[in-house]
Amino acid sequence: MSQKAVSSFDEDLVRSISASLDEPAWLTSSRLDAFRQFAALPPEKNPLYTKYVSTFSFPLDRFKIIPGRSEIDFRSFFQGFLTGKEKDIILQGNETQVHTELSRDLESQGVRLMSFHAALKQEEAAIRKLIEGRLVKSGSDRFAAFVNAFFSGGTFVRVPTGVSLDRPLRRMLLLDSPSTSIVEQTFVIAEEEAKLVYLEELYSKGVPSPAFVASTTEVLARPGSHVDFSSIQLLGDRTTHVSNRGIETSNDSKATLSSLSLGAEVSRSRTNFFLNGRGSLAEGFEIFFTDGKQRYDYETNLVHNSPDSTGSTQARGVLKGESQSIFKGMIKIVNAAKNSRSYLAHHAMLLERTAKSDGVPSLEIDNNEVRATHSASVAQIDEEQLFYLMARGLSQDEAKKMVVLGFFEPVLSRVPIEQTREGARFMIEGKWQGEKRRLADRETLLAETGELTPEVKETEDIFERHYKYR
Amino acid sequence: MKLEIKDLRASVEGKEILKGVNLTIGQGETHALMGPNGSGKSTLAYTLMGHPKYQVTSGQVTVDGENLLGLTPDKRVKKGLFLAFQYPVSVQGVSMFSFLRAAYNNSRPAGTEPPTIFEFKETVAQKLKMLSMDDSFLSRYLNEGFSGGEKKRAEILQMALMQPKFAVLDETDSGLDIDALRIVAEGINTVSGPQTGTLLITHYQRILKYVKPQFVHVMYQGRIIESGGEELSRLLEEKGYTWIQGYKEEEQVAQQTP
Repeated sequence: MSQKAVSSFDEDLVRSISASLDEPAWLTSSRLDAFRQFAALPPEKNPLYTKYVSTFSFPLDRFKIIPGRSEIDFRSFFQGFLTGKEKDIILQGNETQVHTELSRDLESQGVRLMSFHAALKQEEAAIRKLIEGRLVKSGSDRFAAFVNAFFSGGTFVRVPTGVSLDRPLRRMLLLDSPSTSIVEQTFVIAEEEAKLVYLEELYSKGVPSPAFVASTTEVLARPGSHVDFSSIQLLGDRTTHVSNRGIETSNDSKATLSSLSLGAEVSRSRTNFFLNGRGSLAEGFEIFFTDGKQRYDYETNLVHNSPDSTGSTQARGVLKGESQSIFKGMIKIVNAAKNSRSYLAHHAMLLERTAKSDGVPSLEIDNNEVRATHSASVAQIDEEQLFYLMARGLSQDEAKKMVVLGFFEPVLSRVPIEQTREGARFMIEGKWQGEKRRLADRETLLAETGELTPEVKETEDIFERHYKYR
Repeated sequence: MKLEIKDLRASVEGKEILKGVNLTIGQGETHALMGPNGSGKSTLAYTLMGHPKYQVTSGQVTVDGENLLGLTPDKRVKKGLFLAFQYPVSVQGVSMFSFLRAAYNNSRPAGTEPPTIFEFKETVAQKLKMLSMDDSFLSRYLNEGFSGGEKKRAEILQMALMQPKFAVLDETDSGLDIDALRIVAEGINTVSGPQTGTLLITHYQRILKYVKPQFVHVMYQGRIIESGGEELSRLLEEKGYTWIQGYKEEEQVAQQTP
């Protein structure tokens, strides 16, 4: 079947997407439920949005939503993005089907890294359970409902009980065709005592053209497991990006999210950490760097539903040109979650008077035996710092670059994944210089930069800082 | 080679602070600039380095006959000028190591190959030793959480790496205990040497026990009102700054720092 352009988002489209993907009836009906919620929810209001996002008057007729079956030559399509040494990776070029490489040793241990629909064929019962117990609920968010109704693909990752992976599983999405639309769901599951690192990368190449990427992501860290999830977003200048994430921890499990956002024209992201297990740990590290007319609207919430849980999220952003950002965040601690600790921080630096940023942190706490705090700031780049560096021979541009790269470090240096940490520095520096760089491994970084500057590791315990609420 | 300051006038936010400063520093010379708070010493230091807040309204500053005024601070560095800050600025997330390396590479003569990371590590290790500083300095953020003494030592470390032709040291002795003062002063003596001209701005005479100036100048209300040899600093120490008031009976010594 060829790709089909759509003229409206309606029930017929839901049915035709589901039918074209050969889905079971329960999934079609789940999609239809999501569609009804999508139709009932009011448009999201936000000062940052362009008309495209706020009213859903996205030029739908130009966008293909049903997955195409046309084959691409992955090797040439991904040239420059891959080293050829990748082992466990799932690739997707535009809307075309995915290409998966999973090494045999992982496959034989029961590790899954595959497209959503391939997983649906293999283990329908398990997928059904996931869909029915979704963390990203359709009723809570119009874009979540949209994706749950119209998704045309996705990724399924699972590491079985007791399996601990020593290298990351990766997934790369690369767009190059005009009027592409990607609507997808990702599930990442670490079963009991499993350990995994997952790297998600979103890129565009070629001439910037309108594109739409909408996704939901669910990360489930089962008891005693450890998931490090990393998301790199460097979509093209004319892409609208909408993301909803739900990350759940269980008893004594740990989940981290490290996100680097550099691309897209509009990027709107909601992340909810659900600390649903006693003694569990959730950490968010969010970095963004915008320029031009980019607009980012991010929200990250920490929801503590269990005692002895520890949650934190730290965001740092730098804004150039006329770019704008909003960062909202809430710490919610229910009555049952005693002895929990929570920390939320957002700091932004503005490089020009025309850039704008807001931080809106809040607390909702129903138990007195907890510790929770937040901090937020938005400030112009410090002229005295620039003078000091220029007095050491750095040009104004070099001085600014040094201050900006340094500004990210208190968060970046805590990112638990080496490849993301080092790659993020390389990519941010690239953006400063007007180059689009991709996440590279250490060997490639060394080859391209000659050397890696020694890191300073942040060691201060964030929970030793001043508490607004304890 | 000379650093020449001729009839320099500068203001901050429309208020004139330097009211015609004349001073010439030759290679290998050490000059002390003393004076009460608010007399314009730090303003002179910032103006020489090109701080954007200080507007030069008239006068000349040249190194080896080349004009410095109008150049951005980084260009002044390339002409051989260095300023040790009274209050070094801290920059979060920038390691001392990367900072020192950038400063070192940017102060080297044009056309020379920058050293490799290993060569630089060796160079910096020697300088650290000279200033009794620990290697762990390098893996801290720039001036962040440094004690007063650590900051001043770090300034001299930068001077040692950058090897300026002319160094302005703005109250490098302030906030140091006696041991730190000795170490910093020895550092200045080692680094300055016959190739460097040094302008040591100080409020107190105590550093002059360790760093011996050939010339001492007294600044008051934006001008150098008295110049002499080392004996002038002892005179100041004995009589205090109030005796300067004799020069201008009608004016009070300003108490606030600029």
